[in-house]
Amino acid sequence: MSVQEPTYTFEGLPLEGVEPGTNILVTGPALGGIRELTMRMLLRRHSREGALFIAADVDGRETLTDYETLGGDLDFARVGAVDCTENGVGDDDHNVHAVGSPADLTGAGIEFSSLYERIHANGAERVRTAVYTLSPFVVYAPAKSVFRFVHTLTGRIRTADGLGVCAIDPGTVDDQTLSSIAQAFDGKVELREADGRRAIRVRGLPGQPEDWQPVDLDTA
Amino acid sequence: MRELTVLCVDADEAEREATRAALVGDGEVAVTAVGSVAAASDALRSEAADCVVTAYDLPDGTGLDVAARIRETTPDTPCILFTDASPDRIDTADREDVVVEYLPRDMPNAREALARMVGNLVEQRTQVGYPLPTREDERLAALEQYDRPEMDAADAFDRLTTLARKYFDVDVAFVGVIDAHEERFLACAGAAWETLAREDSMCTHTILRDDLMVVEDTHEDDRFADNDRLDELNIRAYAGVPLETPRGATVGAFCLTHDEPRTFAEEELADLRRFAAEAMDQLELRRQLNECEDERDAARTGAGDAGGDGS
Repeated sequence: MSVQEPTYTFEGLPLEGVEPGTNILVTGPALGGIRELTMRMLLRRHSREGALFIAADVDGRETLTDYETLGGDLDFARVGAVDCTENGVGDDDHNVHAVGSPADLTGAGIEFSSLYERIHANGAERVRTAVYTLSPFVVYAPAKSVFRFVHTLTGRIRTADGLGVCAIDPGTVDDQTLSSIAQAFDGKVELREADGRRAIRVRGLPGQPEDWQPVDLDTA
Repeated sequence: MRELTVLCVDADEAEREATRAALVGDGEVAVTAVGSVAAASDALRSEAADCVVTAYDLPDGTGLDVAARIRETTPDTPCILFTDASPDRIDTADREDVVVEYLPRDMPNAREALARMVGNLVEQRTQVGYPLPTREDERLAALEQYDRPEMDAADAFDRLTTLARKYFDVDVAFVGVIDAHEERFLACAGAAWETLAREDSMCTHTILRDDLMVVEDTHEDDRFADNDRLDELNIRAYAGVPLETPRGATVGAFCLTHDEPRTFAEEELADLRRFAAEAMDQLELRRQLNECEDERDAARTGAGDAGGDGS
């Protein structure tokens, strides 16, 4: 009997698999395909993986709908969302849990931990978590709380052998803040658009292509 | 492994006892158990805890009130809400900023999971409100060599910071070292600062860098704009150079602050680097002196023992 290397893989993207417990910061312009890239990194490779979205720019329902459009399987026992948008609404049928405001990082952290435990309890040994995006938290919450929140999130993902994919639009925060936030992550995936072509490159993760790799993302 | 101290807050005696027993487990954890927000506040004031585990419903408030006290007293201390209360029953109003871990008490093997979580949160420093340098443990180990009571460099640093303050015409010039939870000021000309929580300290960002950090206006920088403590200390502008040891560990910073926004000219920054280099040399010389004395003492003790054996 062979034991398969327990990695998270990314089908259809120019990225090698990563080890359990890896946290990745994804940077790129909001209109340049970063949303689709983040979602595709969350696609489950088998039914014993879970997917959890922390939605701050777009509400939880729409996030899950878009995920399904991109090929995500909405198995609501193992897929769910924490909705951190302003006045977001919960929806138990679709496993969406509302926090009410991107300024409420305590609420976001509690809903995240609770949902993570449940997805785990429902048989998902591995859970992929996406934050789309960190920008509203940085804008609406104090910096200290944002660091505390990001550490809490990445810490839980690390100890639970999960995968963390946090998106941020560098245009919404200053460079210094971005580089301070990046400290909490194992590495970075950068997305750019040049001459109408999109490409990604990886920084700080072992065994990944260093150069810009073209990537096909459909949506704007 | 060193013993951890955990503060356990729960009004239900049976639950509290079960939690205490689970945490004490193999004897490496000491638990202080209390039953209210008020008692937890007293306990936090009298004795530092490495981690706090609290129920949500308490007779005089909630577990998030306990978390708020922690953020006021020892902000780095991790806090776990260990409760049957489901997330939708937890009221986060006025507590949006405290950020805690949440572990449902009614899940299977909850207390085993709790014991693991306590260890993880303390070890990984998961609830700190600032970026952590990549090799923080090594950095702290290096700091220990430079930061010993017998190595008092206060006089030299007093002179340096007094000169710097006058030379740059700023409010305050200081030398600070960043330890695990706070910045300690070895010398501070123009103010009487002694310590500052690390999450409030600008230098905690400076030590992430290879070169100096300049903030011309704290109100225009996302990292500091909402930091009330800086306003209380009248810090509106900042320039700091990391103090890097010969082996490459950054132990602190040499800094200037001003009570209104200001720019720093290139020549000024070049001079600030010189002040920082001088401060680092002072620290390094003292460390070496100290090392020599340690070796001499060891040799003397060794010789004494040998003589003793011979007689």
